[in-house]
Amino acid sequence: MIIFKQWRLWVSLLLLIGSYILIKPNFESQTSNSKINFGLDIQGGFSYLLELNEEEYLNNLLVKTSQYIENTYSISSNIDNGEIVISKNQNLDALTNIVIQNLGLEINEKSDKENSYIFSKQNFNKSLSDMTLNAVEIVRSRVDFLGNKELSIQKVGLNKILLEIPGDLDNNVKEVISKTAKLTLHLEKNNIVGSKTFINEETGEQVRVQEIPNITGDFIQDASLQYNQNEPVVAFSFNKEGSDLFAKMTSENVGSRFAIVLDGSLITAPVIRESITGGSGQISGGFTNETANNLAIILKSGSLPTQIKIIQEKQIGPTLGQEGVEKGVIASIIALIAITLFMIIYYKISGVFTVITIISCLSLLFAMMSLLNTTLTLPGVIGIVLTIGMCVDANVLIFERIRENFKHNIEDPKNHGFNSAYVTILDSNLTTLFAAVFLFAFGFGPIRGFSISLIIGIISSLIVTYIILKLFINITSIKYLGLQR
Amino acid sequence: MINFYSFKNKSYLVSLSLIILTIIIIFFKGLNLGIDFKGGLNFEVKSNLTTNQLNEYFDFIDSDREVLIKREVGSDVFSIRIESGDNNPVFIEEIKNIIYQNPDIEILLSEYIEPTFSEELIKNSIYALASSLLVIAVYVWIRFDWQFAASGIFALLHDVFVSIGFMSLFNIEFNLTMIAALLLIAGYSINDTIVLFDRLRSLTSNEENKDNFETNVNNSIKLNLRRTILTSFTTILALLCLVFLAPVNLTEMPIVFIFGVLIGTFSSLFLVLGIVGDLNYEAVLKARDS
Repeated sequence: MIIFKQWRLWVSLLLLIGSYILIKPNFESQTSNSKINFGLDIQGGFSYLLELNEEEYLNNLLVKTSQYIENTYSISSNIDNGEIVISKNQNLDALTNIVIQNLGLEINEKSDKENSYIFSKQNFNKSLSDMTLNAVEIVRSRVDFLGNKELSIQKVGLNKILLEIPGDLDNNVKEVISKTAKLTLHLEKNNIVGSKTFINEETGEQVRVQEIPNITGDFIQDASLQYNQNEPVVAFSFNKEGSDLFAKMTSENVGSRFAIVLDGSLITAPVIRESITGGSGQISGGFTNETANNLAIILKSGSLPTQIKIIQEKQIGPTLGQEGVEKGVIASIIALIAITLFMIIYYKISGVFTVITIISCLSLLFAMMSLLNTTLTLPGVIGIVLTIGMCVDANVLIFERIRENFKHNIEDPKNHGFNSAYVTILDSNLTTLFAAVFLFAFGFGPIRGFSISLIIGIISSLIVTYIILKLFINITSIKYLGLQR
Repeated sequence: MINFYSFKNKSYLVSLSLIILTIIIIFFKGLNLGIDFKGGLNFEVKSNLTTNQLNEYFDFIDSDREVLIKREVGSDVFSIRIESGDNNPVFIEEIKNIIYQNPDIEILLSEYIEPTFSEELIKNSIYALASSLLVIAVYVWIRFDWQFAASGIFALLHDVFVSIGFMSLFNIEFNLTMIAALLLIAGYSINDTIVLFDRLRSLTSNEENKDNFETNVNNSIKLNLRRTILTSFTTILALLCLVFLAPVNLTEMPIVFIFGVLIGTFSSLFLVLGIVGDLNYEAVLKARDS
């Protein structure tokens, strides 16, 4: 049998079996890493795009670096408009080029009196990006503690975080992700110099305390919702270092007050009655169960490096996605049937081959999407429809070339026709493929969803036309291809 | 047989008028930018109420910001939109509360976009579009001659631009999904064009008939005519299914794409090879011989 001599037969079988194995996990209930995920626009859910404050981070970094220079090299500097300015009336020998480079700085301006330094763009972006990765983990743990299991969270760009949670809206999520959660403890101080007054916005309570915090929330190890005489309170405990600081502060200042400040506003200002050595404390003050629980979650997840701003918020109700999928599937099936009928009527047997090619193209596409764990969105479905179009186009090009060669009595019309048409197909598909790759690299949201299925689709289409369609053309005598006329 | 090449001057005229028309339409009507590119708050809701009834709910809000309510054609779906200006969280919360707490309103979708972010999205989309166009140009240039690259890119920009005019004319919303639609049109257009280029190149490299450029152009088109029509037809067939069956927020995309397919078919049949000829490709061919 001539058919068994075709290497394409064996590759085709391999492709089909491989596709089957890769697609199978999508229909099994257990979770697997190689599955197609459905985007929020299909399954419903809500998403937040968070942006960390770049300016604030730059300032923090400048302050930190300036302090480091002061502590390590005893060189004082001040910060002015995004620059570290170092006056030349001090010994700058320690500040070698290598030191400056290691700090990620580069010289901006030199004058007789002073040098000014800025962070080099590359270093700052790297640092910003690292900070965002760190913030991603903090946000993840906050949302995790609320009990959302299937969330997807990723860093976008340099300082953005995309958080997507399928299912119903949980109002607490927005509450816990948008708080910076900088908890600080300050001792009371009546002297004006170096002090600051914090106010509790709800009760109007205010207290003058020293501006630099005595202890920060970074030392908090755990926090939880507890009840004190049926009142919800937030209990927290410090780690070893924090416990020591807290014990020292309380034992030295029995009788005076200290302020518990969260994100710049006073929560409560209790009087220290005795030294607290256990390293744990309680925050009370008009909490509900929910607010106390949210605060506990925020405290134990740690504070975010800068303020966070929600720059995009999306909620997709379950009906829209469901309707989208149902309609989309029906539309695709009808479109497929229409194209199928048309191709079979027009090209007879060859039309049947086209149908088989399209179905193989789709299964290879879904197999690759499963393998790569792709997220399928509605624009992605449109990309798939375009893929089907390109696959049909490839078939038409090949058939027309074969028919033409046959008409002009060119030798070996099938192979000649296929080969010359395939060059054209490669040219046109590769152009689209390169464009799609760039779209994927630069695009956002729907554009990415669209381009990823287009990329995978074009590759599948090129493979199946070269292997499977050619196999059918090879094994069928030109008399039966339905291409003469 | 139709002499496509002889139509080229008339085609230029048609194409030029389309471009001018598009400029005029965009100038006077502007683009109907979606909140992706404008920033703001948008709800798609399902409700049995009328537009007027819905309007009444928002009447008492004390703000000069307008709440725009639009019924999607032929359905019980409304879009409720507050375009961004001064961002007042209280105002936004108030609107949300009205919508969330009304039992007659079912929320299909709600989205909020900061104006600063929408500016970034515009920039981002322009980068994405520009870079993929550049890549197409470079590829065509490498594979063919520069006359082909220039003509292909012109046709592609022409098709995309006129499609934008079509969107402006019918007030179709311009958002991120539409960027994808425009790229689809670009992809389709270049696809069609390259198939013709391939043909023309192979015909002009054939010793017997390489001298008559006009005949070669006509033959390239003629030999591909059936394929062009078949492919356009099957694509439009598939898109029509999408028009009638796509979810409410995606119906406009296939309509724009159908228009793009039509205009793309026009430009590849009547424009691209004419431009290649007028860029003095014949001289290039002759120079190659000697």
